[in-house]
Amino acid sequence: MNLRSSMNPPEEISVRIAATQQDVSNPEAPAADRRRFDAENLTTLLYPIVFGVLILILWQTQVLHRILGADTFTLPLPGRILTIIADNAPEILMNARATAIVALTGLLFGSMLGYLLGVIAAVFPKWGIGGLTVVSAFNAIPIIAVAPILNNLTKDFSRDADTRSMLAKILVVTLMTMVVMSINAYRGLTELKPYSEDLMKSYAARRTDVFFKLRVPNSVPFLFTALRVSVPGSVICALVSEYFAEYIVGVGRQIRENIVLAQYATAWAYILTACLMGILLYAILLAAEGSLLKGRR
Amino acid sequence: MKKTSKGKSINLVALATVCALTLSLLAGCTGGAPAAASASAEASSESVAATAAPEASSTEPSASAEAAGMYYDAAATVESIVKDAAGKGMVGNWGLGNEYEIQALLSKYVQPTTFLSQAFDMDGFDDDSILLASAMTYNELGLVKNSYDGGYKYGDKVKAIDMNDEGVAMLEDNIFCTEAFAKANPNTVKAFLAASMKGWKYACENPEEAAQIVFKNGSSVSSEHQAYMASEVKKLVETDTKGATVTEYGKLDDAALQQTLDLAKKYIMLKDSVAADKLKAMTLDDIRDASYLAGSSSAGTPEKSSVSIQLKWLPQAQFMGYYVALDKGFYKESGLDVKIVPGGGDISETTAVYSGQVDFGVTWVSNLIAANAGGMTLTEVAQVFQRSGLVLVHKVN
Repeated sequence: MNLRSSMNPPEEISVRIAATQQDVSNPEAPAADRRRFDAENLTTLLYPIVFGVLILILWQTQVLHRILGADTFTLPLPGRILTIIADNAPEILMNARATAIVALTGLLFGSMLGYLLGVIAAVFPKWGIGGLTVVSAFNAIPIIAVAPILNNLTKDFSRDADTRSMLAKILVVTLMTMVVMSINAYRGLTELKPYSEDLMKSYAARRTDVFFKLRVPNSVPFLFTALRVSVPGSVICALVSEYFAEYIVGVGRQIRENIVLAQYATAWAYILTACLMGILLYAILLAAEGSLLKGRR
Repeated sequence: MKKTSKGKSINLVALATVCALTLSLLAGCTGGAPAAASASAEASSESVAATAAPEASSTEPSASAEAAGMYYDAAATVESIVKDAAGKGMVGNWGLGNEYEIQALLSKYVQPTTFLSQAFDMDGFDDDSILLASAMTYNELGLVKNSYDGGYKYGDKVKAIDMNDEGVAMLEDNIFCTEAFAKANPNTVKAFLAASMKGWKYACENPEEAAQIVFKNGSSVSSEHQAYMASEVKKLVETDTKGATVTEYGKLDDAALQQTLDLAKKYIMLKDSVAADKLKAMTLDDIRDASYLAGSSSAGTPEKSSVSIQLKWLPQAQFMGYYVALDKGFYKESGLDVKIVPGGGDISETTAVYSGQVDFGVTWVSNLIAANAGGMTLTEVAQVFQRSGLVLVHKVN
C-alpha cells in the first residue's frame, strides 16, 4: 500500500495530516521490492489454502475422525454435507438471506449509532469518557441474555410475528455493534497525530474545521478497525438471536433445530453456510478497506 | 488548506461509498426477497415443516368463531377455532421436534402447517401474541389454569383441544437405549425396566408422595405444581389414546406406536436425502423391542450394575417413576446403582445416549424416529406415557 501513495504526490499533504506514522516517509520503490511483495502475497495466500485442503482430505478420508475420536455421525463427511447443500440450495439461501438482512441492517444501524455516540463523546469529553464506559458495559452482557429480553420487549411492535421478531433480532445486532463502533470512533476522533491540532489552531481554524478536516478523516481507519470486529460479530449475533426469535427462520435456528433432532449432517450444512457468510462479509470489508484506504496504511 | 479540504472530500466520498455499498447489499437482499421468498416460502416454508397444506384460504377464518369478544366461544367447534387461529398465523409450538402433532391437526383441518415459535413459558399466550398455544396437560396447562406461585390464574377462562380426541396423538415419554447396549446387557435392561415400572406403579398409586419425592430431589417448580403434575402424569401413564385404562405399565402398544410412526413419516421433514429415505422405509421393528419388558420379571444378574438415565427435561413429576424407584430403593433391590441426569432446554437426549454418555434416556417417540433416520441405532424398550399429553389451549370469552 505504501508504494501506491508515493505515486500520487498531490495527495501527499492531505494524507500526511491524518496518516499513521509509518506512512510519513515513503522511500522510492524499486522494482525488485515490488516483486518480493507479490511473492510474499502469494505465500500468505498459499499456506492457508494448502492447510485447508489438507484438513479436507484428512476429513474425507476419516483420518481426522480417528485423530479426534469422532464418528461420521457427529462429524459427517464433507461430501455428504455438500450433497445436502446442493439438494436444499433454495431453502438454505432463503434462510441465509434472512440472517444476512438481520446482520447487515443491525450492523448499519449499530455502526451509525456508535459513530454518533463517539462524536458526542468527542465533543463533550468530560461526559463522553464516562458515557462510553457505560456503553461498553453493554458489551459484557451475553447475547443469550439480551435476545430473549428484546424478544419480549418488541411484542407490541407489530401483529406480524415475522416483523416483530426481525426487529428484535436487528436490535440485538445493533446493540452489540454499536459498542465496538462508539469506542473506536471516539479514539479515532481524539487520538490525533501530535501537533496536528496545534497546527490547525495556528491556521486559526474553527472548531468545526478541526472537526471535519482533521478529526473525521483521522477516524476513518479506526472505523474500519471497528468494522473488522463487528462484521463477523454481527453474523454471530444474528445467528444466536435467531435461537430465541418467535418467527422460525434463519441459519442459526436451523442449526439448533437440526442438532436437537440429531440431524448432524444437515446441521453441518447450515454451519458451513454460516461460516461462508461470515467469510464473505469479511472479504467484502477487506476489499472495501483496501480500495478506500489505499495509501493510508 | 485547499489540499486538506480535498483530502476531506475524498474521505467523505469514501464513507459515502461504504454506506452505499452496505445499503445496496441490503437492497439486493430485500429487493430480491419478495419474488424469490414468496416462491420458496410456498415451496419450502419457513419452519422445519415444509409442506404447506393445499392452499388454505386465510381470508376465510370464520367471524363466527369470534362472535363476541376477542377469544373463542365456549361452545365453538375445534374446527372453527383451529381455522381461525391458523388463518391469523397465531398457533404456537416450541418446535425442536415437538410440533408434529400440531402439524397433523392443522393438516386435518386443511390449514398450512406453519406455527410460531413458543418460548418455554406461557407469556406469549398470556399477552395474546399466540391465540392457540401448545401446552402439556401436566405442565403448561396447569400453569395457565392454576393460581399457585408461577400460575397465570385463568381457571375456567381457558379450554384445551386434546390431540387424543382429535385422532392425531403421537406417543411421548418412553425409555430407550442403544441397540448395542441392550444386546450386550440384556439383564441390566430388564432389571432397570422392572425397577422403573415398580417405581411408576408406586408413584401412580401415591401421586402426592411421589410429588414430594421429586420435589425433594431438586425440583424446577413449586411443590403445588409438582403435585398437580403428578396427578396429571398418572392419567397419561394409566390411560391409552382411546381412553381405555392400561394396567400394564410401560406397555408397547403397537397400534398407537404405528400411528405415531405414520404421522412422523408424514411430518418429519428431513433435508438429508439419505435420512429421508431411511425414514420412509422405517418399520416398528426399527424403533422398538418389547422383549426386554416382557422378560423383566425374570432378570438375571445385571451385566452392568452402575447405569444412568438421561431425562428429557428438568427434574419434575413428569419423571416421578424414576425418582420414586431411586428413593424407595427399587433400583438397589434389583442390584442397580442408578444415576438420574436431568435434561432441559436444548439437551439432545438421543445424542447423549447414542454417544454413550448415559445408558438410558427418556424421549418422545418422534424424536427417537428422527434420530434413527439420521443414522443412530436406538431402540425403545418401554412406553411410559400411553397417550399424548399435548393440548392446544385457547382463551374463552
